[in-house]
Amino acid sequence: MIARLAWRSVWRNRRRTLITVLSIGFGLSFAIFFIAMGHGMYTKMISDAVRMQAGHITIEPRGYLEAPAVESYLKSPAELRAAVQRLAAVQRTKLLVLGQGIARTGSGTVGVALMGVEPSAEAITSPLARRIIKGRYLSDRDGPWVVIGKTLAERLGLRVGMKLVITTNNAAGELVDELCRVRGIFATGSEEIDGYFMQAPIAFARRVFGLPAGAATQLGVILASPDDQEAVLAKLRRLTAGQDLEVEPWQKILPQLASYIKLDEGSNYVFQGILIFLILFTIFNTILMSVMERQREFAMLQAIGTRPGQVMGQVFLETCFLGLIGCGLGMLGGAAAAGALQHWGLDLSSFYGGDITISGFAVDPRLRALLTPGIVLGMGAAVFAATLLLSLIPLRHAGRVNIVDQLR
Amino acid sequence: MSTLVKATDITKDYGQDGVVTHALRGVSLSLQPGEFAAMVGPSGSGKSTLLNIIGGLDRPTSGTVEVDGQRLNDLGKSALGELRRDHIGFIFQSYNLLPVLTARENAEYVLRLQGVPAAERRRRVTEVLAEVGLAGMEDRFPRQLSGGQQQRVAIARAVAPEPALVLADEPTANVDSKTGQSLLDLMLRLNQDKGVTFLFSTHDPAVMQRARRLILLKDGEVAGDGEGLEDIDGV
Repeated sequence: MIARLAWRSVWRNRRRTLITVLSIGFGLSFAIFFIAMGHGMYTKMISDAVRMQAGHITIEPRGYLEAPAVESYLKSPAELRAAVQRLAAVQRTKLLVLGQGIARTGSGTVGVALMGVEPSAEAITSPLARRIIKGRYLSDRDGPWVVIGKTLAERLGLRVGMKLVITTNNAAGELVDELCRVRGIFATGSEEIDGYFMQAPIAFARRVFGLPAGAATQLGVILASPDDQEAVLAKLRRLTAGQDLEVEPWQKILPQLASYIKLDEGSNYVFQGILIFLILFTIFNTILMSVMERQREFAMLQAIGTRPGQVMGQVFLETCFLGLIGCGLGMLGGAAAAGALQHWGLDLSSFYGGDITISGFAVDPRLRALLTPGIVLGMGAAVFAATLLLSLIPLRHAGRVNIVDQLR
Repeated sequence: MSTLVKATDITKDYGQDGVVTHALRGVSLSLQPGEFAAMVGPSGSGKSTLLNIIGGLDRPTSGTVEVDGQRLNDLGKSALGELRRDHIGFIFQSYNLLPVLTARENAEYVLRLQGVPAAERRRRVTEVLAEVGLAGMEDRFPRQLSGGQQQRVAIARAVAPEPALVLADEPTANVDSKTGQSLLDLMLRLNQDKGVTFLFSTHDPAVMQRARRLILLKDGEVAGDGEGLEDIDGV
């Protein structure tokens, strides 16, 4: 009877109930949509950035992060790589040789970062391989060939097939010059990447920096799911314990990107917090109003023998019904909107007038949400739980009604 | 026959801003089962206050009240609620039906609180709704009923649990005189046929004429108590 009374009471004022459940629904939909959009944006951003660099996790000689010099390198990482590759959560590993140098042509001189990669593996994982605008990406058969950024090519007057000289200090401390040719030119939209970065086959990079065969400055680990990062990090630290190695997450390798995401997430949380507060305020207002205008009814119910707890139970159930309908609508609406954005994406390139870069990394201008059951269920459950919590104040009013005063 | 209601030396004081109002000044009253009695008197004489105290809705400042053998002064809030549910029926001036429940659901509300089995509940409510003249209207909501019909539902709700006592606060005040007469007929019939004890608080001359006992309250005291208007001075 209490449940029937509660359900019918919810629909006693249809317009108010509809406005309330629609407010909850719209608010929750927006919150789910924006969280999924942010999640999609960050995941894509991190994925692109880490795949272009060493991956979600980097294994490197101790002290390399603070002083990245080619003198400190992994002498024979093959065995370690095989052990890492065996971990279930690891999608792929890659060996890198990273060093600094000067690129020279008849047109000029530019300081560059040269990254030696395994072309066939890199072509699958790195977004750089998909950003070639002239020529082609590197292959495993390539010798002294490099791919360079569009801006660097312009500065050095280079076209595909042309020669350049890389001057650097090798691992032995000697000044060396190496001649190479341009295999392809990429454009990521990032000034830092396009203007100062180049990739070469790892064997050529070892020759440039004077490293022995099989050596690398870093062993990169790409995960199937970024959610496994902490678990894999712990396993890798156990695996490399006692060796003079460091295992670092991408947040430490790319601190600017990590800080940007953290800051942006923070502002999103504030926005979502305000949204949720507005939803909850609407619910609170509705329940309180509905309780206050029925004080006489609650007094009558208690006069004829209804226990205060039963009256409170009725109001609690009314809140549950409102919350369930509103949250159900919100979860459906939010999932549908975010699902549509995940499926079709939203191209913002015309809005921004070109490429977007964040912390030096190019961001795909096609915005896509990434919807997970956790976002929908988590947000729905949070709003529903907050709704129930908020009903406690009106509940007290319903249970503590002064019978005589109200019936007078 | 044991006394159904025994109120002894009841006082009730209200205080506000240091000013004390004596609503009841040492009222003593007893009621036997099967009585059809009305408390009469001018506004502010203490009728509703006494009715609330007898019904366990309010507590006296001093004095004792016993209803159906239970001393109300000794009962806590929860026990008072159970006493009202199981022993007392209430009829209010403005019906106070639940607008979202049908006539049948309103009438069976207290029976549900009492945990009466569904079949028994249905039998009793069907019977009592027929007695109050609402057969065929069981599934109507209060908004689909006239004022008099709504008060009949309220009477059905009060008598369906077969309480020892029904307290009715101005039950005819919100209906026209013809409807008031028929409601009185109904309550009188329930009193005669089923032995339901009624205690009214009223200004309505029709109720005073039909009541078999009149208790006159004046300035918070019992100023008269008799079988008819002619027995009481000042009515």
